[in-house]
Amino acid sequence: MSAVLRAFRDEVHGALRDPGALLVLVGAISLYAFFYPTPYRREVLKEVPVAVVDLDRTPLSRQLARMADAHELVRVTSRPASLAEAERLVLRGNAGGILAIPSGFERDVKRGAPATVGVFADATYFLVYRQALTGLAEATATLSAGIEVKRLQAQGMPEAKALAFRDPLPLVSRPLFNPAEGYASYVVPGVLILILQQTLLIGIGLRGAADLDVLGKGSLLARATASVIGRSLAFCLLYAVHALFYFGIVARIFGFPVRGGGLAAAALVVPFLLSTSFLGLALSVLFRRREAAIQTLLFTSLPAIFLASYAWPPEALPAWLRAASQAIPSTSAIPALLRVNQMGASLAHVRHELAVLWGLAIVFFVAAVLSHAARARSSSPA
Amino acid sequence: MALGDAPGVFRAARREAYQLVSSRYALVLLVLLPLAGFALVSAIFWNRLPSDLPVAVVDADRSLLSRRLVRMIDATKSMRVTGPFASPAEAFDEVLAAQAYAVVTIPAHLERDVKRGAAPKVVLYYDALRLIPGSIVKRDVRAVVGTLSAGVEIQARKALGETPDVAAARFEPVRSMRGALFNPGLDYLAFLVPALGPTLLSIFVLVGAVHALGAELRDGTAGEWLAAGGSATRAVMGALLPQTLHFTALGLVATALQFRLLGIPMRGSPLLIALATILLVLAYQAAGLLIVAFSANLRLASSAAAFYGGPAFAFTGVTFPTFGMPVAAKAWGALLPLTHYLELLLGQAMRGAPPSASFAPLAALAAFVVLVPPLALWRMGRVMRDPSYWGRT
Repeated sequence: MSAVLRAFRDEVHGALRDPGALLVLVGAISLYAFFYPTPYRREVLKEVPVAVVDLDRTPLSRQLARMADAHELVRVTSRPASLAEAERLVLRGNAGGILAIPSGFERDVKRGAPATVGVFADATYFLVYRQALTGLAEATATLSAGIEVKRLQAQGMPEAKALAFRDPLPLVSRPLFNPAEGYASYVVPGVLILILQQTLLIGIGLRGAADLDVLGKGSLLARATASVIGRSLAFCLLYAVHALFYFGIVARIFGFPVRGGGLAAAALVVPFLLSTSFLGLALSVLFRRREAAIQTLLFTSLPAIFLASYAWPPEALPAWLRAASQAIPSTSAIPALLRVNQMGASLAHVRHELAVLWGLAIVFFVAAVLSHAARARSSSPA
Repeated sequence: MALGDAPGVFRAARREAYQLVSSRYALVLLVLLPLAGFALVSAIFWNRLPSDLPVAVVDADRSLLSRRLVRMIDATKSMRVTGPFASPAEAFDEVLAAQAYAVVTIPAHLERDVKRGAAPKVVLYYDALRLIPGSIVKRDVRAVVGTLSAGVEIQARKALGETPDVAAARFEPVRSMRGALFNPGLDYLAFLVPALGPTLLSIFVLVGAVHALGAELRDGTAGEWLAAGGSATRAVMGALLPQTLHFTALGLVATALQFRLLGIPMRGSPLLIALATILLVLAYQAAGLLIVAFSANLRLASSAAAFYGGPAFAFTGVTFPTFGMPVAAKAWGALLPLTHYLELLLGQAMRGAPPSASFAPLAALAAFVVLVPPLALWRMGRVMRDPSYWGRT
């Protein structure tokens, strides 16, 4: 027991006198929390520039162009004379979408023949594509609904009945958990959890593997166990404060939806931080130089975020990769914490992830102890 | 005197190359991890499009019409129906347990009310926190219900005495023909892998440059290194040259592979992309040099490189476009060579833009390569000559 306390105390003292590690374990936490979300501060991408090719030049075609411009997702920025010219604008990135109104458009509508307009969007950038296509298609649908209702009214149908007649089976779409469909609310809460994992892994690597000689005369395995428990306790306590800061304060500053948290979040954070610290300690044995932790782990953030069941659906991963990704704590911690914090899920809803995190904690604990003991044996002369 | 014995770029490069070849860590950092990274991001998006996303349906009607709606949702490629659920609460539980991305509720008496013209509402609740699956489900449920609704309307028009042709012509006076330009399959592999590969490359080039230059300071071998180069500029160039060649080759091969092997379309100029890839490697080496020169400490330089290279992807505008960002984020993005590289790459490869459209990003990349090194070398020369900067960790 005293060896555990000794390892804990040494880690706290050592870390406090280690500016390089403090920069990652403490400084990076606030820095990234406020730096990373800046691209998404406006939450929803609006006013995507679009080109309108009006080959009809009638009151009705101009009305459609006005309705497109009035839609919040798009803004008509150019009116090229031909489709080819509009395509050149998209090629150069000057327009994200095209509304093409053919000649004879108004005439067809007046004759009662179906008129078709072209709605094209640049799928090189997916968000541009979605907003431009949605804005242009909704403006067209609104115009169409108005015309049809007027026609039905002209045939003597009351307005309410005409509305029901033209869309007898209406669909109401309601976004869950993120009412404004904000991009920051979607990306940032998950990335914050990843930042906790990555800085903890790198910070532990920067602190380096422990010297077991200072922990008395017990067996190698006992000393390695005491060191792993004592040091991870120090890291976990520090990161419990960080987690509280992220979930309690940062989420509110940015106005992310918060529907739950509290005890269920705490129940997830404990095995998440334990498994991450043990993994960090196991990995630290591999790093001969302390900066190797930053150099080798930096790139892992990018794949880890796409493996964590929220930026990319797990159903779309190859089965072997989905199974292998369970070895990363963030793969379970991010979706589970998002559901608890942002969706208001209970512990029962995340019991699968909870079990995986505890399993990882046990496996990485054993790995950390054995690797520290093996390292001490190979480095001691006796 | 044989070539390479005289102090100069070549001797410094040979010295660095020997160090790299004899180091197992360099093999891991410069070869194994980049290859693993490329393989991993390709594997993640291997399936190109999510399919069979689970949707929880609560059918309170159980009529022919409601069952038809459920079958149509299930028959889409993108979705599959889970259930049946007796109550909305049970279905929402599925969403909270990550067993479904959306709930569709079909009200009781749907079929009867549709026949009466009462326009009963089917409600789709979709998960807007998991944006990609959520928006796919939203788009496709809308399409299914829209198709069904149009069918009912056409039947109603026929009942009013319209001929099938007239009914089909009148049910929606203005229609939109929708099309995706440049990525018709809406393929996420083609969208994300060409962007994520260079992002990983930029991280490894930066880390590699910082390591090559910073380790000389850490190990106190800067004097020997300077002697090999003859001057600070030549010594730095020599130390970076092996990695310039290595990462340029890796970048070109990886770029070529993704277009050939993964079937990602390549519509523009391969020559321009190759030129930009070389500039990308040089620009990140220049950034690494700047960071080492001004930190004069390998560990601090590694942390700074992590800050510069780690979150870069979010600022490039690939996921959330630049024109929607606040000025500060736009400015930071412009200071990253990756932003300009990806603009050029996506413009060329995906859109097949004319070369003139790629001039601005190419010039921006070249600006990093031309403007950063003089400033960095001025300071680096002093750090290399002053032993008080050596051995810091």
